[in-house]
Amino acid sequence: MHDAPMASQTTPLAGRWLSAQRRLAGPALSLAVGLGLAGGFLLIWQAWLLARVVNGAAIEQLPLADLWPWMWPLLGVFALRATIAWGATQVAFAAAARVKLALRERLYRQMQALGPVYLQGERSGELSGLLVDGVEKLEAYYASYLPQMALVALIPLAILAFVFPLDWISGLVMVLTAPVIPLFMILIGKGAERLNRKQWRELARMSAHFLDVIQGLTTLKLFNASRREAQVIAAISDAHRRSTMGVLRVAFLSSLVLEFFATVSIAVVAVLIGFRLLWGEMAFLHGFFVLLLAPEFYLPLRQMGTHYHARMEAIAAAERIIEVLETPVPSAPKKAIPVPAKGPVAIRFDQVGYDYPGGRSALTGTSFHIAAGERVALVGPSGSGKSTTINLLLGFLRPTAGRILINQQDLAQMEHADWLQQLAWVPQRPRLFHGTVLDNIRLGRPGADMAAVEEAARQAHAETFILRLPQGYDTPIGEGGQELSGGQLQRLALARAFLKDAPLVLLDEPTASLDPESEALVQAAIERLAAGRTLLVVAHRLATVRRADRIIVLDQGQVAENGSHTGLIQAQGLYAKLATAYTGYVIAQGPQ
Amino acid sequence: MKDLLRLLGLLSPYWKWMALGILLSFATLLANIGLMAMSGWFIAAMAIAGLAGVSMNYFTPAATIRSFAILRTVGRYGERLVTHEATFRVLAQLRVWFYTRLEPLAPARLQQYRSGDLLSRIRSDIDTLDNLYLRILVPVAVALLGLVSVGLFLSFYDPTLAFINLGFLLLAGAAVPLWVQWLGRRPGRTLVESNAALHATAVDGLQGMGELLVYGAAQRQGEQLNQHSRMLTDAQAQMSRLNGFSQAMLGLSSNLSVWLMAMVAIPMLGNGTLERPELAMLVLFAMASFEMVMPLPLAFQMLGQTLSAARRVFEIVDAEPQAPDPLTPSPEPEHFGLTLEDVRFHYAESGPPALAGIDLALPPGRRVAVVGATGSGKSTLLKLLLRFWDPQTGRLTLGDHDLRDYHGEALRRHISVVSQGTHLFTTTVRENLRVAAPQASDEQLLAALETAQLGEFITSQPDGLDTWVGEAGVTLSGGQARRVAIARALLKDAPILLLDEPTEGLDPATERELMQALYRLMAGRSVLLITHRLVGLEAMDEILVLDHGRIAERGSHHALLAAGGIYAGMHARLGES
Repeated sequence: MHDAPMASQTTPLAGRWLSAQRRLAGPALSLAVGLGLAGGFLLIWQAWLLARVVNGAAIEQLPLADLWPWMWPLLGVFALRATIAWGATQVAFAAAARVKLALRERLYRQMQALGPVYLQGERSGELSGLLVDGVEKLEAYYASYLPQMALVALIPLAILAFVFPLDWISGLVMVLTAPVIPLFMILIGKGAERLNRKQWRELARMSAHFLDVIQGLTTLKLFNASRREAQVIAAISDAHRRSTMGVLRVAFLSSLVLEFFATVSIAVVAVLIGFRLLWGEMAFLHGFFVLLLAPEFYLPLRQMGTHYHARMEAIAAAERIIEVLETPVPSAPKKAIPVPAKGPVAIRFDQVGYDYPGGRSALTGTSFHIAAGERVALVGPSGSGKSTTINLLLGFLRPTAGRILINQQDLAQMEHADWLQQLAWVPQRPRLFHGTVLDNIRLGRPGADMAAVEEAARQAHAETFILRLPQGYDTPIGEGGQELSGGQLQRLALARAFLKDAPLVLLDEPTASLDPESEALVQAAIERLAAGRTLLVVAHRLATVRRADRIIVLDQGQVAENGSHTGLIQAQGLYAKLATAYTGYVIAQGPQ
Repeated sequence: MKDLLRLLGLLSPYWKWMALGILLSFATLLANIGLMAMSGWFIAAMAIAGLAGVSMNYFTPAATIRSFAILRTVGRYGERLVTHEATFRVLAQLRVWFYTRLEPLAPARLQQYRSGDLLSRIRSDIDTLDNLYLRILVPVAVALLGLVSVGLFLSFYDPTLAFINLGFLLLAGAAVPLWVQWLGRRPGRTLVESNAALHATAVDGLQGMGELLVYGAAQRQGEQLNQHSRMLTDAQAQMSRLNGFSQAMLGLSSNLSVWLMAMVAIPMLGNGTLERPELAMLVLFAMASFEMVMPLPLAFQMLGQTLSAARRVFEIVDAEPQAPDPLTPSPEPEHFGLTLEDVRFHYAESGPPALAGIDLALPPGRRVAVVGATGSGKSTLLKLLLRFWDPQTGRLTLGDHDLRDYHGEALRRHISVVSQGTHLFTTTVRENLRVAAPQASDEQLLAALETAQLGEFITSQPDGLDTWVGEAGVTLSGGQARRVAIARALLKDAPILLLDEPTEGLDPATERELMQALYRLMAGRSVLLITHRLVGLEAMDEILVLDHGRIAERGSHHALLAAGGIYAGMHARLGES
């Protein structure tokens, strides 16, 4: 529970990509830089006015009354600077917001195009994090890094342009020290940045270890090891502190150098000005003006570190975003053949094969036929290719060999969205979407009237439990909403399918154990749904299989057997073995 | 306020480090103000002397300016080192404190925090508390010290000057940030809400993409995502306007302070209460003094976050343990028979009973299986046997002593558990096994792995027992993880074995192999097997069928099948189910 190997490298590619996305922001970013620069010039003007006031009072010994011509404009400059500073951050944020909105939309479209097979499993959690938080991480890059980096060059240059004609010695001090700061930042910074990142990674790792221990607290407790762990946490934190402080002692040297140049340069400028004033080689007005500008000259340079950090974070997020955006999407057919209006659907698998991207094949040379209106059960051990078959039919996967024919026409030539209109699908664990019961049933037909919804719910045996919910059809469900049992969930999904009224129904029986009562209701609902439609069901229940017209048995990616229940039992093949292995003599006695 | 004091109390062991960090930080601030003020005075004095054609002592002020610059530089370095040292010490202290408070509550009181979401919430809350010192205490303390010093210094010249400077410092550092925070409550809430809505929509959209496509709703979901995305950026824009205002006010306050002080100070030159070089000094002094309030808006923002994080953390650790240990020492059981007598249990007062009258005897060496649908009460039974919870009525005994008489640790010494939820720690295989037996030798560990049928796999890894498990190393399959759990149970070598859905989520081939390993583990132990998968139940002495917290059927495998009830119905499954 201490250290884990880990590696992360930033690529110049991500930096280029991030920079290229600025066009999504439109002219706002340039406007932000323009406002920042205008603020810089106002700052110089302010310093000049202030220098005139102090010069007038302290050197020329003018009364306050004579100083108003400089005092009043100062107030205007103050107000203008505050407004411009405020406006610049708003414009920069607006620019960043436009990039975020555009990229988030593009990312979602890409994920939609990549399809459910790409999104399944644990990856969906990571990708939804990317879609929300990953995109958010880009904000600082556009809102602060890009405009500030332009100003880091522009504002010190503008200040120099005014300082040099008045006092070339101070100008020289600034010119000589200014590049040292970014130079040292790069020299020491490269190493320090690496150390710094390593330190934050370690901190993240320690925090992860802490979470790991908390997650495993029950396990630790079962082995009476939980109290021991408190000492481990203390020891790890302490070791982490020691090693990190060792690193930081070096890493903070970069800020020492930075501070040294910025501060000591101001001191040098002040002392040099002082002596020339004493020797009468310079006017106080100019000297004070330069001294006022000196800290402002170094300020943007000192802030570079913070902005650089924003860039690092954005690059880390951008790398993953680029990866997703560049994942190839299955291409659409060149010339789609029209899918006929809703009518009976017959399916033929003609030597269909499917290989995973890694090369492992899920399905090889599979051929079968399902007639329109037929009820077929798909059976087989796990890994035999049942899910792949369903995903191929749904068009979420494309066959790598052979063809799937729908009413004699190649599925690959059809427009995917058109084909999906022909079918309803109930997966093993149907998804409840954030919204009400009504929204969830109406998923496929948002405009459906209440009578149709109620009829669908009745057909699916869902109406009784829906009416018993606190707000009936308007009860919020999904994450954070009313919890539904496995059987209720299944019936809600069946209601969805009833309302869609498609000629082909694909369904995957739930494997999680339902209590006997809900199981009977689900079974009856499936029965009704099958009437007058083509039905392909991935079956786990003996009762379902027995009600099917025909059973297709898959094994290791191929059709092993094909026939009726009685026929297959008599054939004494894989089906008979599967049935008896798990059901003993129940089959012989018949279902209850 | 109470939460803040309690939080500070937790940090008090390190007050010396914390105070040193604040002092160094304060010295750094003073050095910068001193540098600017002294420079202003110096050049004005030199100019006046130059114009008058007189000489002046320039060694002292020039040297002072240089020393301020050096002090500033070195002070900044020291400040960063010390404040970080203090932060790390505080961080360690907080983690250990939280863990020791959390440990007695696990797992009963933590059940509601089961999901990864809430756990990572706890994690980010603890991480937020780490900010307390560096981002809140230091800036606020430095600003307070700074205000006092600035006030004293300026009143030496004129109270009006002190009044103006302090007023604007307080305006920029406290009044405006607090006002902005108050204004930001509503957009802040909208921000949190729209962020949560965006998350929910994204998760729905990606996890439900298949159904959305089939039902033609993917486009609509995309539009909804866009809408939430826009709502989020709108709320952020509102916050940005407020924060931008706070920032602009900071600059404006500093400028106005300089302006007003100049207006007050200039007439003072005429009546001789102020030397001429001191005007230049005051202008630069006032400007530099605003450095102290710069980190305050962020500090106030973080204070709110830190306090709500602290409140959530306190709420968690302040819960009462669900099954408190008895005050008397645990009895020594003479035998390891378990019994349950009319045990009834419900989680929430108003909720349905999870167990509604269970009687069960598990004498030494007997094997009992409990089967039933999800939610029938099987897992609750296990939690009561491990004394993570106590039943409301009825009693459980071990060796004829009530379970309530045992300390949790003393009870669990006699029980091994293999469950689907076994946690594998992100560390080496060796450390993962040593959780069960800290003193075990490598030979013993390998022997246990061998019996659990994982020996070959581990020895084939280049690092053997040092192989890392989890994200950073080898990811073990479901079957392999279960084998680690079996090896742990073997190493623990307890007389009672509880198996909680040990083969859940495995394919039939793996399941059959795992059952072999489990049979070896069962040898010579009393066994309670909890499952909804009816595999290998012929080997059990008795099977209980749970339905809604009651025993609906009980008997041997064959007897139950012949009876044709729920058990026989559950059994009518096909294939891999």
